Amino acid sequence: MHDDTLSRIRDDLARARRAGTSSAATLIAACVDVLDVTGVGIMVMVGSGHRGTVGGSDAAIRLVEELQFTLGVGPCIDTCHSGLPVLEPNLAHPEVSRWPELSGPAVDAGVAAIFGFPVRVDGVGLGALDLYQDEIGHLRPEQHADAMVMADLVAREILEWQAEAVPGTLASELDQPERLRFVVHQASGMLSVQLGISVHDALARLRAYAYAEDRAMNDVAADIVDRTLVLE
Amino acid sequence: MADREALLSRTFVEIADTLVAEFDVVDVLTTLASRCVELFDVDEAGLMLAVEGVLQVAASSSQTMRLLELFEVQHDEGPCVDCYRSGLAVECGDLSTARVRWPTFAAEAIDAGIGSVFAVPMRLREQTIGSLNLLRKGTGQLSSEDLTAAQAVADVATIGILQHRIAAERQLLALQLQGALDSRVLIEQAKGVLAATTDTSMESAFDAMRAYARSHNRRLADVARALVHRELSGEQVVSPTSER
Repeated sequence: MHDDTLSRIRDDLARARRAGTSSAATLIAACVDVLDVTGVGIMVMVGSGHRGTVGGSDAAIRLVEELQFTLGVGPCIDTCHSGLPVLEPNLAHPEVSRWPELSGPAVDAGVAAIFGFPVRVDGVGLGALDLYQDEIGHLRPEQHADAMVMADLVAREILEWQAEAVPGTLASELDQPERLRFVVHQASGMLSVQLGISVHDALARLRAYAYAEDRAMNDVAADIVDRTLVLE
Repeated sequence: MADREALLSRTFVEIADTLVAEFDVVDVLTTLASRCVELFDVDEAGLMLAVEGVLQVAASSSQTMRLLELFEVQHDEGPCVDCYRSGLAVECGDLSTARVRWPTFAAEAIDAGIGSVFAVPMRLREQTIGSLNLLRKGTGQLSSEDLTAAQAVADVATIGILQHRIAAERQLLALQLQGALDSRVLIEQAKGVLAATTDTSMESAFDAMRAYARSHNRRLADVARALVHRELSGEQVVSPTSER
């Protein structure tokens, strides 16, 4: 990536922040443009395992992020845990099958190859940058290098958001119900009371139910919160 | 001279390492102070850094140097203080001529056997963060080569320290983000716990939690954690007076 490109993106982000518009959208659009991939998504995930979605450039990557959240497995989750890039050039027929539950629906949605890059700041993990291609194959070396540069830019941008927040509170860019899936955590809390288990186990039950019923975790959680669904 | 060039290069590499690796600022600066004594025609070297505008002794090549630096800080006078305040190099080839300029420091340093003193600023553009101080037993000016090289050492050290500070701030921010995200999730979980135990809506559950936190002078996230871990019952939170 040319230095000029990087400074132009930084300027665009700063302008979006100043204008009070979401720089997340700018960030995602810049990733798609610079990396020349089919789609890009950004996920936040901290050490405790709490995660959320910052956004995705198209429906397919948003589905992949949703699936990863529901299933609790996938390239961004692996990359967050290991701190290393996770590369799957052939999701339908991988050399080593890593996320069989994820592959089917993702391939059906048009995801042929998927790549996760860690979003970290000085050893502290903040999330992952997800890229997908609609054709099988590895990233080109310059795409790989640029993805690492963009992942670093994502980390810096997330910190810019947090720097604006009142100490002790979460950046407003992240503190949004749909991004952090508040409804899922509310449902976990309710379920933990109803079943007499920990919230951690309740989240696992919710996840298992959503998977078994082939439904999005958010929808199942919303039903529990509305009290139209009670898990036994 | 070749040895000196090699040592100077090695010193630069050592400082540059601080840009990438985790390091202890005091360790690096102490090494740097010792290197200055080897590199330049001086007997003592020390570095002072300003913390919130107040100069503090950061590193010294010896105990004598350390005491003299502490003396400067305590009496708020001396070459390092002037250098830091002005952002310019200070040269005094004969300390006995400086009895008016630094009445207490000059006397103390001469007593300690020092004949000449020099200081170069640790400065990046308008920001001066401290000074590098060089003391010599004999009198006479420091060569311009030594002075230039000392300024180069101070410049590279300054960049290293500033980079380290920026990295430390970023890391703090990242940890704050982690904590805030965890708290946020905990609050949503607690809303669910409270809504289920007291059969209320999420909105009423949140209002009750906030009211309880306020009246008990506790942080909302702490109340949420207590609810999630069942250290606090939903009934206690909904009717705060019932616990008495």
